Amino acid sequence: MNNKTVINEIYNELLDEKCYHAVHPTGLNIYCMPKKGYSGAYAVFGTNYGSIDTKILNKNGEIEDIPEGTAHFLEHKLFESEDLDAFARYAKTGANANAYTSFDTTCYLFSCTGDFNASLRILLDFVQSPYFTEQTVAKEQGIIGQEITMYKDVADWEVLFNLLRALYHSHPVRIDIAGTTESIAEITAQTLYDCYNNFYNLNNMVLAVAGNADINEILEICDELLKPCEQFKFERKPHDEPEEIVQEYIEEKLSVASPIFSFGYKESFGLPKRSLKDKIATNVLLEMLAGTTSDLYNSLLEQGLINTSFGFEQFTGFGYSATIFSGESKDPHEVARQINAAVKEMREKGVNEEEFDRIRRKLYGRIVMSFNDIDEIANDLVGAHFDKVGMFDDIEIFRSLTTADVKKILDNTMREKFAALSVINPID
Amino acid sequence: MNYSFALSSPVNGLRFCSVDTKSNFKLAIYTASFALPLGKDTAVNALLPGLLKRTCKKYPTLTQMNKHLASLYGAMVSAGVSKDGESQILTLRITALEDRFALTDEKISEKAAELLLDLIFDPNTVDGKFIEADVEREKRLMIEQIENELNDKRYYALKRCTEIMCKNEVYAMSRCGDIEDIKKIDCEAVTAAWKKMLETATVYIGVTGSMDAEPIKQKFAEKFSTVNRTKLAELHTEFITSADETTKVREELPVKQGKLVLGMRAGMVDDEDNYIPIKVMSDIFGGGVYSKLFNNVREKMSLCYYCSAGFNRSKGLIMVQSGIENENEQKAIEAILNELEDMKKGNFSDDDLTSSIKALTNLSLVNDTPEGLDRWYCGQMLDRDIITPEEYAEQISAVTREQVISAAQNVSLDTVYMLAGTATGEEGEDDE
Repeated sequence: MNNKTVINEIYNELLDEKCYHAVHPTGLNIYCMPKKGYSGAYAVFGTNYGSIDTKILNKNGEIEDIPEGTAHFLEHKLFESEDLDAFARYAKTGANANAYTSFDTTCYLFSCTGDFNASLRILLDFVQSPYFTEQTVAKEQGIIGQEITMYKDVADWEVLFNLLRALYHSHPVRIDIAGTTESIAEITAQTLYDCYNNFYNLNNMVLAVAGNADINEILEICDELLKPCEQFKFERKPHDEPEEIVQEYIEEKLSVASPIFSFGYKESFGLPKRSLKDKIATNVLLEMLAGTTSDLYNSLLEQGLINTSFGFEQFTGFGYSATIFSGESKDPHEVARQINAAVKEMREKGVNEEEFDRIRRKLYGRIVMSFNDIDEIANDLVGAHFDKVGMFDDIEIFRSLTTADVKKILDNTMREKFAALSVINPID
Repeated sequence: MNYSFALSSPVNGLRFCSVDTKSNFKLAIYTASFALPLGKDTAVNALLPGLLKRTCKKYPTLTQMNKHLASLYGAMVSAGVSKDGESQILTLRITALEDRFALTDEKISEKAAELLLDLIFDPNTVDGKFIEADVEREKRLMIEQIENELNDKRYYALKRCTEIMCKNEVYAMSRCGDIEDIKKIDCEAVTAAWKKMLETATVYIGVTGSMDAEPIKQKFAEKFSTVNRTKLAELHTEFITSADETTKVREELPVKQGKLVLGMRAGMVDDEDNYIPIKVMSDIFGGGVYSKLFNNVREKMSLCYYCSAGFNRSKGLIMVQSGIENENEQKAIEAILNELEDMKKGNFSDDDLTSSIKALTNLSLVNDTPEGLDRWYCGQMLDRDIITPEEYAEQISAVTREQVISAAQNVSLDTVYMLAGTATGEEGEDDE
């Protein structure tokens, strides 16, 4: 190809980091953040397709349901080819390769020291070369079946998905990423090809590299290996999910030593995805409410109601958003009650300026530190691209954040009537 | 190498290691590790990192300490207890932003190093004794942590297999001791253990970052010189070179997936013995996705999602782990042992050896993060001779096929442990 792809350079003074961005003629967005002094590089090739995408546009232009867990199944099978599978090819370059499927993305990645270009060639080639047969699909049903069974014993995983099922009526965020042994039994080679053709379109994908790599060399390899795609037609449709939760409490018994809980507030908002500013303000709010400097956290710890496994997260993606607190506790109901009370108290008292400044300082440090590991950077580049924001936007928004932004979130989220508690209790 | 490092021993039994990362990273790490023999004090020692981490005289409450850390740009303190052979390693580690990102002209590195010194030497005591409420809180947290080890079945099965396999060795002890011992601990015992740690432990202090390490070293040397460190505790690990016979133990838990662990002796007489070829052998056998266990037990036989071998150099063990259906237990054991037999007979390709060497010499994970560099040098705290990642890579690269075969021939199966699941796949599932 003779097309000279335009490369944009984005520089952030505060971090002293540079990021290159280019849109390849095939439609693929490419990002590269070179890191001075690093010996290795990390590359991620991702598609905007995950477990929540349970419908496809078939050949006749109709919307069709696909089995739960297909995105994850496809991720496993893409490594295979007619001759040498991708792992065997990577073994020759020494790269450490892997892949993962989340609610809304599927990503293929490798890290390496030396021979980056050879590994990048493998990555671009195998992700663009699907090869599925009924035989290889059947073989994978055994392996993934064991993966699903394994997670059924993992209490931290079960407690989260039970909570999502208590919060969501129909949004597919409530289904397990890997599906069920029954749903994956329905998957055929044709299902995989259909999904592949639907979502593995370079216009719907991104390549992100961080570390010891050069954008010009990456583009040369892309010119050589990227195959032109048809126009990308599929668009995620908002789900018809009511504001209300399904049930306030959900419980399961597993072989655990003490109860494990996940307590979440379902949040509704107009757009399919929350804005970056809202997400950042929510992070600050959660740190102020339940972080290690908060009265809530320290009081729960001193009362013996939580231990160091306690944590919280803003769980948000296309058409879903929840504020989730989780941990181990002898009395999860009491923890939930005290969280509710702390939210109420904070609403009454307002956002404390001194604490706001302290948390801003804490999170400023944490954001800067997050630009250290090349795996984290490359994965964040993928996430930022699919969220349609820039890699350095968060630190800039963060600097201009005010207590009013935090108050707005506090006033509009974490409402008690949209809360559910999920508990895994020990088997008697 | 994109960094430089310097070692010194300013105090008896203390190694100070500074790794200058030349402004490549955003954060710096300050580590203090203490090695003590596993034994009767293991439980009380295990409380120390958590206790020292959470408060100190300057910041006597959890909230005060955490506010200080937040103001220090979100610096993090972690406390760890682990085993290195038959030594217990107690670690305090501070991760903090590099000085050049401070928003004012303060020196984060000075404050972080000072905090580490305060945590170690100036804990929250009254009349020289730890406070009961603090000790009781720590006991509760430690007991819950030990109890909750049951929740991670993969870890739990590995731990059980190790306990059974090493039942006549000190190594059978849990890294944190027993719950019953922890319950009995009082403030006097913790205070005595803290003093004993300062006086008798083998110590590693490491700073990884672009700060000036010299003043930090001086301060640690000064503080430690006030402690009587003339009688260090002896550290020793018993190595059993081979298993006479194979022990089989089967236990049950109400879980859906069974966990199989095969405990093997690597044939070592001490932790230096032939460990580089054994590392490569263990990796071809069950390391990465190119390994024999992955390709045969998982990919060809579809028996499991994971099947891997881990080499524990400091005790001379190789542990194979897999998650399987109960009914496949025998099939999986045979398949794993077949692969081991193949290793002994040399039934692996030159490509397998090359793949393994390439994977093991991928040093990005060590060299490209301050955490990796810190772990690398701290992990060698009990070794007489320190090697760099590059030297290690060189030694790995020199391993021959014959060395791998001979290493495999020294491996013997000691214990087969099966944690069988008694819950069915359907039970407890949701409504769908």
